[in-house]
Amino acid sequence: MLLLPLLALLSLPFTRAASPDAARQKLVALAAAGGGLIKLDAASYDLLTAPNRDWSASIEFTALDPRRRCAPCREFNPSWNAVAKAWSKTPQAHRDNHFFATLDFDQGQTVFQQLGLSSAPVVYVYPATEGPRATGKTAFSKYDFSHGFEAEPLAEHLSNHTPIRIPYSPPFDWARWTTIASGLLAFAVTLRFVAPVLQSRWTWAIACILVSLVMTSGYMFTRIRNSPFMGGDGSWIAGGFQNQFGQEVQVVALVYGTLGASFLMLIMVIPYQTSAQRQRFQIYLWSAIIMLVYSILVVLFKVKNRGYPFRLLL
Amino acid sequence: MPTAFPLPSDLSPATVSNTASLLRIVALALISGAAIASRLFAVINFESIIHEFDPWFNYRATRVLAAKGFYEFWNWFDPTAWYPLGRVVGGTVYPGLMATSGVIYNLLHALNLPVDIRNICVMLAPGFSALTAWATYMFTKEMKDESAGLLAAAFIGIVPGYISRSVAGSYDNEAIAIFLLMFTFYCWIKALKLGSALFGTLAAVFYFYMVAAWGGYVFITNMIPLHGLVLILMGRFTSRLYVAYSSWYVIGTLSSMQVPFVGFQPVSTSEHMAALGVFGLLQLVAFTQLVRSHVSSKQFQDLLLIAVVTTGLLGAAAFVGLTYAQKIAPWTGRFYSLWDTGYAKKHIPIIASVSEHQPTAWPSFFMDLQFLIFLFPAGVVLCFHQLRDEHIFVIIYAVMASYFAGVMVRLMLTLTPVVCVASAVAFSSLLDTYLDAAEPEEEVAEASGTAGTPAVASKKSKKAAPQAEAGNAFTDIVAAAASAKKGDSPKVKAIYGLDTRLAIIVNALGMLAFFVFHCTWATSNAYSSPSVVLASTNQDGSQHIIDDFREAYYWLRQNTPETAVVMSWWDYGYQIAGMADRPTLVDNNTWNNTHIATVGKAMSSSEEVAYPILRKHDVDYVLVIFGGLLGYSGDDINKFLWMVRIAQGVWPEEIQEPNYFTPQGEYRVDDKASRAMRESLMYKMSYYRFAELFGGGPATDRVRNQQVPKVGPTLDYLDEAYTTENWIVRIYEVRKEDLLGRDLKSANAFAKGKKRKRSKPLSRRRALL
Repeated sequence: MLLLPLLALLSLPFTRAASPDAARQKLVALAAAGGGLIKLDAASYDLLTAPNRDWSASIEFTALDPRRRCAPCREFNPSWNAVAKAWSKTPQAHRDNHFFATLDFDQGQTVFQQLGLSSAPVVYVYPATEGPRATGKTAFSKYDFSHGFEAEPLAEHLSNHTPIRIPYSPPFDWARWTTIASGLLAFAVTLRFVAPVLQSRWTWAIACILVSLVMTSGYMFTRIRNSPFMGGDGSWIAGGFQNQFGQEVQVVALVYGTLGASFLMLIMVIPYQTSAQRQRFQIYLWSAIIMLVYSILVVLFKVKNRGYPFRLLL
Repeated sequence: MPTAFPLPSDLSPATVSNTASLLRIVALALISGAAIASRLFAVINFESIIHEFDPWFNYRATRVLAAKGFYEFWNWFDPTAWYPLGRVVGGTVYPGLMATSGVIYNLLHALNLPVDIRNICVMLAPGFSALTAWATYMFTKEMKDESAGLLAAAFIGIVPGYISRSVAGSYDNEAIAIFLLMFTFYCWIKALKLGSALFGTLAAVFYFYMVAAWGGYVFITNMIPLHGLVLILMGRFTSRLYVAYSSWYVIGTLSSMQVPFVGFQPVSTSEHMAALGVFGLLQLVAFTQLVRSHVSSKQFQDLLLIAVVTTGLLGAAAFVGLTYAQKIAPWTGRFYSLWDTGYAKKHIPIIASVSEHQPTAWPSFFMDLQFLIFLFPAGVVLCFHQLRDEHIFVIIYAVMASYFAGVMVRLMLTLTPVVCVASAVAFSSLLDTYLDAAEPEEEVAEASGTAGTPAVASKKSKKAAPQAEAGNAFTDIVAAAASAKKGDSPKVKAIYGLDTRLAIIVNALGMLAFFVFHCTWATSNAYSSPSVVLASTNQDGSQHIIDDFREAYYWLRQNTPETAVVMSWWDYGYQIAGMADRPTLVDNNTWNNTHIATVGKAMSSSEEVAYPILRKHDVDYVLVIFGGLLGYSGDDINKFLWMVRIAQGVWPEEIQEPNYFTPQGEYRVDDKASRAMRESLMYKMSYYRFAELFGGGPATDRVRNQQVPKVGPTLDYLDEAYTTENWIVRIYEVRKEDLLGRDLKSANAFAKGKKRKRSKPLSRRRALL
């Protein structure tokens, strides 16, 4: 009774000493084959996350097959690959202590079931359980996507778990700088033709009015909150006072613009009309437009704020 | 000239102008009265009480100032705030508001009017709103004329966008800041128009007052330089601009550095560099102009130009270099998050968590500004039409402020004045055009073939023609000025007929009346709640007052020792200090993120983890706000995720936001709530004994509309000390360590008579041996 566990205890170091080295060699080979990133299946997943590991690993669970229709997976994958690639450039002594791996749903459905994963992408970090880098923790930790799918925060976070910092630096954005440079060049070349337009006050007036119309229609709200253009059920007005869809920006800006333009017609254009008949017609026309559009605006506002007690024509 | 309606004939121009100025004074007095009166809903519906959160600190500080004098206030170190750190109040506060109330208080007492300091604080904002109306009148007068000024004053007097921050009792910095903002801008425009160093200095003095009163002074610090820069770029540099800007900048900057909280910021932070840069640019431009006028040689002028441009570039390079060398501090987070809107959420959740820092959806704009919001672009176009130097200011202001208001709800306050000014310009242009009695020349009318009007008009014209000039001289000038701009074809601006005028005027008056109704409704319904006292309506329609907050704070005040430290989320720090007079860990000053994160960690971890934190900070009582019984949605469970996020920022290993969601990603408090959620101190304190209230029936949380578990959480390290009438405030006492040295959990279990379970690892070890 007493001997058996003792024997097992004694034999443990040997099995440990023998298998991890072999496993590590295998993993290093796999990583080298995948360019720093191990393409996992159920078997190699078990190998990588073996309970007695003196390496750590970070695994991306994803579903890249088009049939799976996982848009976020495809969105996140480039960042993951970039970080893994950055890690593969570190000195070998450190590199072989942490592995980057990807497990696709179609290669390891059993693992997904085993972990109870119902959504992707997910990133788990498995700490080392033995050796000098063991922290005492054996359970994996989950990467929090609250900073989005970008590579930079990912590298930042994973650096806490790797032996040394991941030397990730964002790639030089050629497209953006080329666009800016060519834009500036085009501007310089066409300056002679553009200058009169730029010097006209009405160009600036239109720009200023558009900016303030769009801003006062809640454009920044939709930008910051990433609100959808319209609701899932086809509605274009979001319920609630502190909420709105992208389409509302356009409608409300149009309403404000129409009303503002009608007033400008009444102030700046109609008084210079030389025909009395035409002037009278225009005055009544624009007044009617103002009343009607204003009524529509109030109705729109009533939809957003149910308790609003006032209404106009409608 | 024919007129559309008869004008009085026997009036001398002097009488007209005298009557007009009398009417203006009367109108301004009435506008002031309306502005003050419409802010009194809060006092009438509730009582004369300080509102919300920050005002409680301002009130407390003002009481210190009134009781002990200015020097004591200046050196005030408050050991009860941010326990155990304390807070140097004198050096970390904008003292303008308190100083203003202190001066008024002392003045009234010198006149033997023993007014309570609380009433001065409550009534300060309405009083200053009357001054704001006047300042807006003066400002708009510079843009167009007196009638536009009166309209602008009336608009800003009652517009909800400004009332929301200045109802009676809302004793906050913004209460006086908007007046100072508008008056500084008025002085600046006046200085620019006249090239007057006197008005430039006045602008600087009011700028100093503004710096002492509100952190939003940075808006002025950047608006005026931007205006100057645009004028230079448009080739509108004049010596008037030079005099106005230089006098404003030099005196304003030197005086603003006298405020201890601001200190050397004006010469060392990026927010203030634009002002310094434009100041340098103006010197260069002025120098060039001066030398040019004295030197004729073409070559020398070229040389000069090169020298000046090089100096400018070197100066700009110096800015960049100093920023990199960190001699000039980069933009502060609050300011930076205005441009990079994702910045705050990523790096400083404490800024992102404040409700008034959220972006603005369009209904808020309409709610706060109503029909002004669509008149405002029309007014901006009219400014472009004339485009004098001062109109450029309004245009820049309009664009900048509408962007800022879109990014942050609270900056609606800076947008409101310019909206009032621009829409008053538009609205008064409309009224000017259609109230003007002048009719176009008859032959034009007849040529167009109208049958009825010319006859009527000609009859009238015979009578009134001579006097039209005298009675309506002013509008004629405006019309002439407007038509003169149109270029070589001198078109006459006039309206035919009386019915058309009537249609427009009735329409316009209807809109104004609707505006008044809207403002009254918005003010009384949305902006007059003190939020310290809540109101609900009974079934019979009468008002029911929910006074749980004060109930709890007074309980603390009466039943706990004066040194008892109260922990709560930072929102309630100022209120606890003001009403309960007890030390707090964190408050609305939010200067120490780590300290707030500590409280967040205590609230979001389990009892065992939280207890050492509580004991280390000497916490005696923990206060939570719970709205589940009444349906009060601003409670701590709804704010809980922010506590988690802020704690996560400091301890990413221990607190993780996803743990507080269900695997499906829902935020739940019922049976399906995640483990971290159910074990968190906040959850336990909120729902402790909540289910018992329903006597075995389903216990429903009315805010989140979820049924909480029938067996509620148990507490081992805290005791329920007090729960208010409607359960909104719950206070827990932190237990002291067990006298026998056991941990409180097992001590509790022992007291309940539970047997300690033998845990398995023990038995296995025994077997091994």
